[in-house]
Amino acid sequence: METKKLTTGAAPRKLSDYLTRARDKAPAHDGHGAGGAQSVRKDSYRGHEIEIVTTYNILVDGRKIRAPLGVDASGQVHCHSLPNYQTASAVDMVRALIDGFPEEFERKPARTKSRPAASRKRRPAPARKSRPAAKKGARHEH
Amino acid sequence: MAVVRRNISTNPGVRDQYIEGVKLLKNEASGRATDEFGIPGAARSVSTYDLFVVWHVTAMMIETPPRNPAQRNSAYRGPIFAPWHRVMLMVFEQNLQRVLNDANFGLPYWDWAEDGDLPPQEQSAAAIWGADCMGGEGNPVATGPFAFRASDPSAFRVRISTNISGELRSVNRGLRRAFGVSADALPRTAHVTNALELPAYDSPDWDADANSFRNRIEGWMNDDGVSATSMHNLVHVWIGGEMLLGSSPNDPVFFLNHCNIDRLWESWMSRNGRVYVPDMEAGADLKGHRIDDPISSPLGRSATPRETLDVSEIYEYDALI
Repeated sequence: METKKLTTGAAPRKLSDYLTRARDKAPAHDGHGAGGAQSVRKDSYRGHEIEIVTTYNILVDGRKIRAPLGVDASGQVHCHSLPNYQTASAVDMVRALIDGFPEEFERKPARTKSRPAASRKRRPAPARKSRPAAKKGARHEH
Repeated sequence: MAVVRRNISTNPGVRDQYIEGVKLLKNEASGRATDEFGIPGAARSVSTYDLFVVWHVTAMMIETPPRNPAQRNSAYRGPIFAPWHRVMLMVFEQNLQRVLNDANFGLPYWDWAEDGDLPPQEQSAAAIWGADCMGGEGNPVATGPFAFRASDPSAFRVRISTNISGELRSVNRGLRRAFGVSADALPRTAHVTNALELPAYDSPDWDADANSFRNRIEGWMNDDGVSATSMHNLVHVWIGGEMLLGSSPNDPVFFLNHCNIDRLWESWMSRNGRVYVPDMEAGADLKGHRIDDPISSPLGRSATPRETLDVSEIYEYDALI
Protein backbone atom coordinates (compact mmCIF):
# COMPACT_ATOMS: atom_id res chain seq x y z
CA MET A 1 0.00 0.00 0.00
CA GLU A 2 1.23 3.49 -0.81
CA THR A 3 1.74 5.95 2.02
CA LYS A 4 0.22 8.84 0.05
CA LYS A 5 -3.08 7.05 -0.50
CA LEU A 6 -3.28 6.21 3.18
CA THR A 7 -2.43 9.73 4.34
CA THR A 8 -5.06 11.28 2.09
CA GLY A 9 -7.78 8.79 2.97
CA ALA A 10 -7.14 8.99 6.72
CA ALA A 11 -8.24 12.62 7.05
CA PRO A 12 -11.27 12.89 9.38
CA ARG A 13 -13.23 14.63 6.61
CA LYS A 14 -12.64 11.66 4.26
CA LEU A 15 -13.67 9.19 6.95
CA SER A 16 -16.85 11.04 7.87
CA ASP A 17 -17.81 11.51 4.21
CA TYR A 18 -17.33 7.79 3.67
CA LEU A 19 -19.42 6.94 6.73
CA THR A 20 -22.39 9.02 5.69
CA ARG A 21 -22.37 7.20 2.33
CA ALA A 22 -21.80 3.75 3.84
CA ARG A 23 -24.69 4.14 6.22
CA ASP A 24 -27.09 3.65 3.34
CA LYS A 25 -25.61 0.20 2.71
CA ALA A 26 -25.97 -0.95 6.31
CA PRO A 27 -29.37 -2.58 6.62
CA ALA A 28 -29.29 -2.68 10.41
CA HIS A 29 -29.61 1.07 10.46
CA ASP A 30 -32.80 0.63 8.49
CA GLY A 31 -34.53 -1.63 10.96
CA HIS A 32 -32.75 -4.86 10.12
CA GLY A 33 -32.62 -5.56 13.82
CA ALA A 34 -36.29 -4.96 14.41
CA GLY A 35 -36.98 -8.57 15.20
CA GLY A 36 -37.35 -9.53 11.58
CA ALA A 37 -33.95 -11.03 10.87
CA GLN A 38 -34.22 -14.33 9.08
CA SER A 39 -31.64 -17.07 8.67
CA VAL A 40 -31.91 -19.35 5.68
CA ARG A 41 -29.88 -22.56 5.74
CA LYS A 42 -29.64 -24.73 2.65
CA ASP A 43 -28.16 -28.17 2.12
CA SER A 44 -28.39 -31.16 -0.19
CA TYR A 45 -28.82 -34.69 1.11
CA ARG A 46 -29.33 -37.85 -0.98
CA GLY A 47 -30.70 -35.83 -3.84
CA HIS A 48 -33.02 -33.78 -1.64
CA GLU A 49 -32.76 -30.01 -1.28
CA ILE A 50 -33.12 -28.85 2.30
CA GLU A 51 -34.05 -25.27 3.20
CA ILE A 52 -34.56 -24.17 6.78
CA VAL A 53 -35.82 -20.65 7.47
CA THR A 54 -35.40 -19.49 11.07
CA THR A 55 -36.94 -16.37 12.58
CA TYR A 56 -36.58 -15.71 16.29
CA ASN A 57 -39.45 -14.25 18.28
CA ILE A 58 -38.00 -13.51 21.71
CA LEU A 59 -39.82 -12.31 24.81
CA VAL A 60 -38.13 -11.31 28.06
CA ASP A 61 -40.44 -10.46 30.96
CA GLY A 62 -43.24 -10.58 28.41
CA ARG A 63 -41.66 -7.88 26.26
CA LYS A 64 -40.52 -8.48 22.69
CA ILE A 65 -36.75 -8.16 22.22
CA ARG A 66 -35.57 -6.50 19.03
CA ALA A 67 -32.29 -8.40 18.73
CA PRO A 68 -31.07 -9.60 15.32
CA LEU A 69 -30.30 -13.23 16.11
CA GLY A 70 -29.27 -15.60 13.36
CA VAL A 71 -28.18 -19.20 13.10
CA ASP A 72 -25.40 -20.40 10.82
CA ALA A 73 -25.00 -23.59 8.83
CA SER A 74 -23.65 -25.55 11.79
CA GLY A 75 -26.46 -24.41 14.08
CA GLN A 76 -24.46 -21.84 16.06
CA VAL A 77 -26.45 -18.80 17.16
CA HIS A 78 -25.00 -15.36 16.47
CA CYS A 79 -26.21 -11.81 17.09
CA HIS A 80 -25.02 -8.56 15.46
CA SER A 81 -25.44 -6.78 18.78
CA LEU A 82 -22.84 -9.01 20.48
CA PRO A 83 -20.47 -9.62 17.59
CA ASN A 84 -17.86 -11.68 19.45
CA TYR A 85 -20.27 -14.28 20.76
CA GLN A 86 -21.48 -17.50 19.23
CA THR A 87 -23.60 -19.84 21.34
CA ALA A 88 -25.08 -23.29 20.94
CA SER A 89 -28.51 -22.09 22.03
CA ALA A 90 -30.63 -18.97 21.59
CA VAL A 91 -31.29 -19.03 25.34
CA ASP A 92 -27.58 -18.57 26.05
CA MET A 93 -27.48 -15.69 23.57
CA VAL A 94 -30.43 -13.97 25.26
CA ARG A 95 -28.67 -14.37 28.62
CA ALA A 96 -25.64 -12.68 27.10
CA LEU A 97 -27.85 -9.88 25.76
CA ILE A 98 -29.26 -9.29 29.24
CA ASP A 99 -25.70 -8.93 30.55
CA GLY A 100 -24.52 -6.82 27.62
CA PHE A 101 -27.44 -4.38 27.58
CA PRO A 102 -28.54 -4.06 31.23
CA GLU A 103 -30.42 -0.78 30.64
CA GLU A 104 -32.71 -2.40 28.11
CA PHE A 105 -33.87 -4.98 30.65
CA GLU A 106 -34.38 -2.72 33.65
CA ARG A 107 -37.65 -3.53 35.39
CA LYS A 108 -39.90 -1.16 37.26
CA PRO A 109 -39.22 -1.31 41.02
CA ALA A 110 -42.65 -2.71 41.85
CA ARG A 111 -42.00 -5.74 39.68
CA THR A 112 -38.41 -6.33 40.78
CA LYS A 113 -37.64 -9.50 42.71
CA SER A 114 -34.50 -9.95 44.76
CA ARG A 115 -31.92 -11.91 42.81
CA PRO A 116 -28.17 -11.88 42.25
CA ALA A 117 -26.98 -9.22 39.83
CA ALA A 118 -27.04 -10.77 36.36
CA SER A 119 -23.92 -8.92 35.29
CA ARG A 120 -21.78 -10.81 37.82
CA LYS A 121 -23.26 -14.22 37.19
CA ARG A 122 -21.16 -16.39 34.94
CA ARG A 123 -22.87 -17.62 31.84
CA PRO A 124 -22.56 -21.21 30.76
CA ALA A 125 -19.75 -21.71 28.30
CA PRO A 126 -20.85 -21.96 24.68
CA ALA A 127 -21.57 -25.59 23.87
CA ARG A 128 -19.28 -27.47 21.55
CA LYS A 129 -20.71 -28.18 18.20
CA SER A 130 -21.37 -31.72 17.17
CA ARG A 131 -19.39 -31.68 13.93
CA PRO A 132 -15.65 -31.23 14.55
CA ALA A 133 -13.86 -29.66 11.64
CA ALA A 134 -11.04 -31.53 9.98
CA LYS A 135 -7.71 -30.80 11.55
CA LYS A 136 -4.77 -30.17 9.29
CA GLY A 137 -1.74 -30.93 11.35
CA ALA A 138 -2.46 -28.34 13.98
CA ARG A 139 -0.55 -28.89 17.17
CA HIS A 140 -2.69 -29.31 20.23
CA GLU A 141 -2.12 -27.89 23.61
CA HIS A 142 -2.25 -30.35 26.48
CA MET B 1 10.10 5.51 6.40
CA ALA B 2 8.15 2.80 8.17
CA VAL B 3 7.23 3.38 11.80
CA VAL B 4 7.79 0.66 14.38
CA ARG B 5 4.90 -0.77 16.39
CA ARG B 6 5.94 -1.81 19.89
CA ASN B 7 4.63 -3.67 22.94
CA ILE B 8 2.68 -1.22 25.12
CA SER B 9 3.55 -3.10 28.31
CA THR B 10 7.29 -2.65 27.89
CA ASN B 11 7.49 0.77 26.25
CA PRO B 12 6.31 3.50 28.62
CA GLY B 13 7.06 6.29 26.17
CA VAL B 14 4.84 4.78 23.49
CA ARG B 15 2.21 3.98 26.12
CA ASP B 16 2.06 7.60 27.28
CA GLN B 17 1.89 8.87 23.69
CA TYR B 18 -0.94 6.47 22.90
CA ILE B 19 -2.96 7.67 25.90
CA GLU B 20 -2.34 11.30 24.98
CA GLY B 21 -3.26 10.68 21.34
CA VAL B 22 -6.52 8.93 22.23
CA LYS B 23 -7.51 11.85 24.47
CA LEU B 24 -6.68 14.35 21.75
CA LEU B 25 -8.76 12.48 19.16
CA LYS B 26 -11.59 12.14 21.68
CA ASN B 27 -11.63 15.89 22.21
CA GLU B 28 -11.26 16.82 18.54
CA ALA B 29 -14.52 17.70 16.78
CA SER B 30 -14.84 15.90 13.46
CA GLY B 31 -17.15 18.55 12.05
CA ARG B 32 -20.01 16.06 11.90
CA ALA B 33 -23.03 15.65 14.15
CA THR B 34 -24.84 12.51 15.31
CA ASP B 35 -27.90 13.15 13.12
CA GLU B 36 -25.71 12.87 10.01
CA PHE B 37 -25.13 9.22 10.93
CA GLY B 38 -28.81 8.56 11.60
CA ILE B 39 -28.37 8.54 15.37
CA PRO B 40 -31.69 9.49 16.99
CA GLY B 41 -32.09 12.29 19.51
CA ALA B 42 -30.70 15.81 19.64
CA ALA B 43 -27.82 16.39 17.23
CA ARG B 44 -24.46 16.36 19.01
CA SER B 45 -20.95 16.90 17.78
CA VAL B 46 -19.05 13.70 16.94
CA SER B 47 -15.37 13.52 17.84
CA THR B 48 -12.75 12.15 15.47
CA TYR B 49 -12.24 9.22 17.85
CA ASP B 50 -15.94 8.39 17.74
CA LEU B 51 -15.85 8.26 13.94
CA PHE B 52 -13.98 4.98 14.44
CA VAL B 53 -16.83 3.70 16.62
CA VAL B 54 -19.33 4.59 13.90
CA TRP B 55 -17.10 3.01 11.22
CA HIS B 56 -16.84 -0.27 13.13
CA VAL B 57 -20.57 -0.53 13.76
CA THR B 58 -21.38 0.37 10.16
CA ALA B 59 -18.93 -2.16 8.72
CA MET B 60 -20.43 -4.94 10.80
CA MET B 61 -23.89 -4.13 9.54
CA ILE B 62 -22.92 -4.40 5.87
CA GLU B 63 -23.59 -8.04 5.06
CA THR B 64 -21.30 -9.37 2.35
CA PRO B 65 -23.23 -10.24 0.32
CA PRO B 66 -26.67 -9.33 1.71
CA ARG B 67 -28.44 -12.14 3.58
CA ASN B 68 -25.57 -14.61 3.25
CA PRO B 69 -26.23 -17.61 5.49
CA ALA B 70 -22.74 -17.51 7.05
CA GLN B 71 -23.50 -13.97 8.31
CA ARG B 72 -20.26 -12.68 6.86
CA ASN B 73 -20.02 -8.90 6.93
CA SER B 74 -17.57 -6.35 5.60
CA ALA B 75 -15.28 -6.67 8.65
CA TYR B 76 -15.94 -10.00 10.40
CA ARG B 77 -16.82 -13.67 10.08
CA GLY B 78 -14.91 -14.16 6.85
CA PRO B 79 -11.53 -13.71 5.09
CA ILE B 80 -11.81 -9.91 5.14
CA PHE B 81 -11.32 -9.90 8.93
CA ALA B 82 -7.56 -9.32 8.83
CA PRO B 83 -7.37 -6.85 5.88
CA TRP B 84 -10.30 -4.70 7.06
CA HIS B 85 -8.82 -4.30 10.51
CA ARG B 86 -5.37 -3.60 9.07
CA VAL B 87 -6.86 -0.67 7.16
CA MET B 88 -8.76 0.56 10.20
CA LEU B 89 -5.62 0.48 12.35
CA MET B 90 -3.56 2.29 9.72
CA VAL B 91 -6.15 5.07 9.44
CA PHE B 92 -6.27 5.33 13.24
CA GLU B 93 -2.47 5.40 13.45
CA GLN B 94 -2.32 8.19 10.88
CA ASN B 95 -4.70 10.25 12.99
CA LEU B 96 -2.68 9.61 16.14
CA GLN B 97 0.46 10.76 14.31
CA ARG B 98 -1.37 13.91 13.21
CA VAL B 99 -2.65 14.97 16.63
CA LEU B 100 0.61 14.00 18.35
CA ASN B 101 2.56 15.85 15.67
CA ASP B 102 4.85 12.85 15.50
CA ALA B 103 5.17 11.10 12.14
CA ASN B 104 7.30 8.41 13.79
CA PHE B 105 4.63 7.27 16.23
CA GLY B 106 3.68 3.61 15.82
CA LEU B 107 0.47 2.17 17.23
CA PRO B 108 1.36 -0.12 20.17
CA TYR B 109 0.10 -3.67 20.58
CA TRP B 110 -0.95 -5.63 23.65
CA ASP B 111 0.63 -9.08 23.71
CA TRP B 112 -2.32 -10.57 25.62
CA ALA B 113 -0.94 -14.10 25.45
CA GLU B 114 1.78 -13.05 27.90
CA ASP B 115 -0.93 -12.14 30.38
CA GLY B 116 -2.93 -15.23 29.41
CA ASP B 117 -0.02 -17.38 30.59
CA LEU B 118 -0.54 -16.03 34.10
CA PRO B 119 -2.93 -17.85 36.46
CA PRO B 120 -6.48 -16.62 35.72
CA GLN B 121 -6.81 -14.90 39.08
CA GLU B 122 -3.70 -12.78 38.33
CA GLN B 123 -4.64 -11.67 34.82
CA SER B 124 -6.68 -8.66 35.88
CA ALA B 125 -3.62 -7.36 37.77
CA ALA B 126 -1.38 -7.33 34.68
CA ALA B 127 0.54 -4.16 33.85
CA ILE B 128 -1.84 -3.13 31.09
CA TRP B 129 -4.61 -2.54 33.64
CA GLY B 130 -2.46 -0.30 35.81
CA ALA B 131 -3.44 3.29 36.55
CA ASP B 132 -0.55 4.45 34.35
CA CYS B 133 -1.74 2.38 31.39
CA MET B 134 -5.34 1.47 30.43
CA GLY B 135 -6.80 1.59 33.96
CA GLY B 136 -8.89 -1.12 35.56
CA GLU B 137 -12.41 -2.49 35.41
CA GLY B 138 -15.71 -1.10 36.66
CA ASN B 139 -19.02 0.40 35.67
CA PRO B 140 -17.79 2.97 35.13
CA VAL B 141 -14.03 2.46 35.00
CA ALA B 142 -12.72 4.48 37.93
CA THR B 143 -8.93 4.28 37.59
CA GLY B 144 -6.41 5.24 34.95
CA PRO B 145 -6.45 7.78 32.14
CA PHE B 146 -9.93 6.85 30.91
CA ALA B 147 -11.65 6.93 34.32
CA PHE B 148 -15.08 8.53 34.49
CA ARG B 149 -15.57 11.64 36.57
CA ALA B 150 -19.18 12.80 36.39
CA SER B 151 -18.39 16.41 37.27
CA ASP B 152 -15.50 16.71 34.81
CA PRO B 153 -16.66 17.32 31.23
CA SER B 154 -13.14 16.71 29.94
CA ALA B 155 -12.98 13.19 31.41
CA PHE B 156 -13.24 10.25 29.03
CA ARG B 157 -16.88 9.53 28.16
CA VAL B 158 -18.67 7.09 25.90
CA ARG B 159 -20.88 9.20 23.62
CA ILE B 160 -21.96 6.76 20.89
CA SER B 161 -22.92 3.17 21.57
CA THR B 162 -25.28 0.56 20.15
CA ASN B 163 -28.61 -0.71 21.39
CA ILE B 164 -29.81 -4.31 21.48
CA SER B 165 -30.77 -4.11 17.81
CA GLY B 166 -27.23 -3.11 16.92
CA GLU B 167 -28.28 0.42 16.01
CA LEU B 168 -26.22 3.48 16.89
CA ARG B 169 -27.45 5.61 19.77
CA SER B 170 -26.26 8.61 21.77
CA VAL B 171 -25.17 8.02 25.36
CA ASN B 172 -23.24 9.98 27.97
CA ARG B 173 -21.56 7.72 30.47
CA GLY B 174 -18.26 6.25 31.56
CA LEU B 175 -16.35 3.35 30.06
CA ARG B 176 -17.37 -0.13 31.24
CA ARG B 177 -15.22 -3.22 31.81
CA ALA B 178 -15.87 -6.43 33.76
CA PHE B 179 -12.80 -8.68 33.67
CA GLY B 180 -13.31 -12.43 33.63
CA VAL B 181 -17.09 -12.37 34.05
CA SER B 182 -18.05 -13.82 30.68
CA ALA B 183 -14.87 -15.86 30.16
CA ASP B 184 -12.42 -17.36 32.62
CA ALA B 185 -9.07 -16.44 31.11
CA LEU B 186 -7.25 -14.78 28.23
CA PRO B 187 -5.74 -16.78 25.34
CA ARG B 188 -2.30 -18.26 26.03
CA THR B 189 0.96 -18.45 24.10
CA ALA B 190 0.18 -22.04 23.17
CA HIS B 191 -2.99 -20.89 21.36
CA VAL B 192 -0.95 -18.39 19.36
CA THR B 193 1.68 -21.00 18.49
CA ASN B 194 -0.95 -23.49 17.36
CA ALA B 195 -2.69 -20.90 15.18
CA LEU B 196 0.56 -19.97 13.46
CA GLU B 197 1.06 -23.65 12.54
CA LEU B 198 -2.02 -23.60 10.31
CA PRO B 199 -0.93 -23.55 6.67
CA ALA B 200 -4.04 -21.97 5.11
CA TYR B 201 -4.97 -18.32 5.62
CA ASP B 202 -8.58 -19.29 5.07
CA SER B 203 -10.50 -22.16 3.53
CA PRO B 204 -14.00 -23.24 2.46
CA ASP B 205 -16.61 -22.61 3.61
CA TRP B 206 -14.89 -19.28 4.48
CA ASP B 207 -17.01 -18.91 7.59
CA ALA B 208 -16.96 -19.37 11.36
CA ASP B 209 -16.50 -23.13 10.88
CA ALA B 210 -13.39 -22.99 8.70
CA ASN B 211 -10.32 -24.61 10.24
CA SER B 212 -8.02 -21.85 9.01
CA PHE B 213 -5.59 -19.29 10.40
CA ARG B 214 -8.08 -16.46 9.90
CA ASN B 215 -10.89 -18.24 11.67
CA ARG B 216 -8.63 -19.36 14.50
CA ILE B 217 -7.28 -15.86 15.24
CA GLU B 218 -10.71 -14.29 14.82
CA GLY B 219 -11.72 -16.71 17.52
CA TRP B 220 -14.64 -18.85 16.39
CA MET B 221 -12.82 -22.15 16.83
CA ASN B 222 -10.46 -23.61 19.40
CA ASP B 223 -7.36 -25.77 18.97
CA ASP B 224 -9.47 -28.93 18.82
CA GLY B 225 -11.34 -27.67 15.77
CA VAL B 226 -14.64 -27.18 17.54
CA SER B 227 -16.74 -24.06 17.92
CA ALA B 228 -15.59 -21.97 20.87
CA THR B 229 -14.79 -18.41 21.87
CA SER B 230 -11.04 -17.99 21.50
CA MET B 231 -8.18 -15.64 20.54
CA HIS B 232 -9.50 -12.23 19.38
CA ASN B 233 -13.09 -12.95 20.41
CA LEU B 234 -11.99 -14.24 23.79
CA VAL B 235 -10.05 -11.04 24.50
CA HIS B 236 -13.21 -9.01 23.82
CA VAL B 237 -15.36 -11.29 25.96
CA TRP B 238 -12.86 -11.53 28.85
CA ILE B 239 -12.61 -7.73 29.11
CA GLY B 240 -16.39 -7.43 28.92
CA GLY B 241 -18.42 -4.23 29.21
CA GLU B 242 -17.83 -1.99 26.20
CA MET B 243 -15.79 -4.67 24.45
CA LEU B 244 -18.84 -6.94 24.15
CA LEU B 245 -20.70 -4.56 21.87
CA GLY B 246 -20.48 -3.58 18.21
CA SER B 247 -19.27 -0.22 19.49
CA SER B 248 -16.23 -1.87 21.12
CA PRO B 249 -13.73 0.71 19.73
CA ASN B 250 -15.08 2.91 22.54
CA ASP B 251 -12.52 1.12 24.70
CA PRO B 252 -9.00 2.20 23.68
CA VAL B 253 -7.92 -1.38 24.41
CA PHE B 254 -9.77 -2.38 21.23
CA PHE B 255 -6.95 -1.00 19.07
CA LEU B 256 -4.26 -2.68 21.19
CA ASN B 257 -6.01 -6.05 20.81
CA HIS B 258 -6.37 -5.68 17.06
CA CYS B 259 -2.81 -4.45 16.68
CA ASN B 260 -1.68 -7.70 18.27
CA ILE B 261 -3.96 -9.67 15.93
CA ASP B 262 -2.38 -7.77 13.02
CA ARG B 263 1.05 -8.72 14.39
CA LEU B 264 -0.01 -12.37 14.38
CA TRP B 265 -1.12 -12.02 10.75
CA GLU B 266 2.21 -10.45 9.86
CA SER B 267 3.96 -13.30 11.70
CA TRP B 268 1.93 -15.84 9.73
CA MET B 269 2.86 -14.11 6.43
CA SER B 270 6.52 -14.08 7.39
CA ARG B 271 6.31 -17.88 7.43
CA ASN B 272 3.91 -18.54 4.59
CA GLY B 273 4.45 -15.66 2.17
CA ARG B 274 2.22 -12.70 1.35
CA VAL B 275 -0.67 -14.82 0.17
CA TYR B 276 -4.40 -14.38 0.54
CA VAL B 277 -7.48 -16.32 -0.41
CA PRO B 278 -10.08 -16.36 -1.89
CA ASP B 279 -9.01 -15.05 -5.28
CA MET B 280 -11.34 -13.49 -7.85
CA GLU B 281 -12.32 -16.90 -9.22
CA ALA B 282 -14.49 -17.31 -6.13
CA GLY B 283 -18.18 -16.80 -6.64
CA ALA B 284 -20.36 -13.80 -5.89
CA ASP B 285 -21.32 -15.35 -2.57
CA LEU B 286 -17.86 -14.22 -1.40
CA LYS B 287 -18.09 -10.71 -2.78
CA GLY B 288 -16.47 -8.33 -0.34
CA HIS B 289 -13.93 -10.97 0.77
CA ARG B 290 -12.03 -11.71 -2.45
CA ILE B 291 -8.48 -10.48 -3.01
CA ASP B 292 -9.36 -7.59 -5.32
CA ASP B 293 -12.70 -6.60 -3.82
CA PRO B 294 -12.78 -3.07 -2.32
CA ILE B 295 -12.47 -2.93 1.46
CA SER B 296 -15.19 -0.90 3.20
CA SER B 297 -13.05 2.09 4.06
CA PRO B 298 -12.42 5.77 3.27
CA LEU B 299 -9.43 4.79 1.13
CA GLY B 300 -11.55 4.16 -1.95
CA ARG B 301 -12.13 1.21 -4.22
CA SER B 302 -8.44 0.62 -4.87
CA ALA B 303 -7.88 -0.41 -1.24
CA THR B 304 -8.25 -4.16 -1.47
CA PRO B 305 -6.97 -7.15 0.51
CA ARG B 306 -4.15 -7.45 -2.05
CA GLU B 307 -3.08 -3.88 -1.21
CA THR B 308 -2.83 -4.71 2.49
CA LEU B 309 -0.49 -7.67 2.13
CA ASP B 310 2.66 -5.55 1.95
CA VAL B 311 2.67 -2.56 4.26
CA SER B 312 6.43 -2.42 4.72
CA GLU B 313 6.48 1.21 3.54
CA ILE B 314 4.14 2.17 6.37
CA TYR B 315 4.97 0.16 9.50
CA GLU B 316 6.72 -2.85 10.93
CA TYR B 317 6.69 -4.66 14.27
CA ASP B 318 9.51 -4.69 16.77
CA ALA B 319 9.04 -8.43 17.19
CA LEU B 320 7.22 -11.10 15.24
CA ILE B 321 6.45 -14.56 16.57
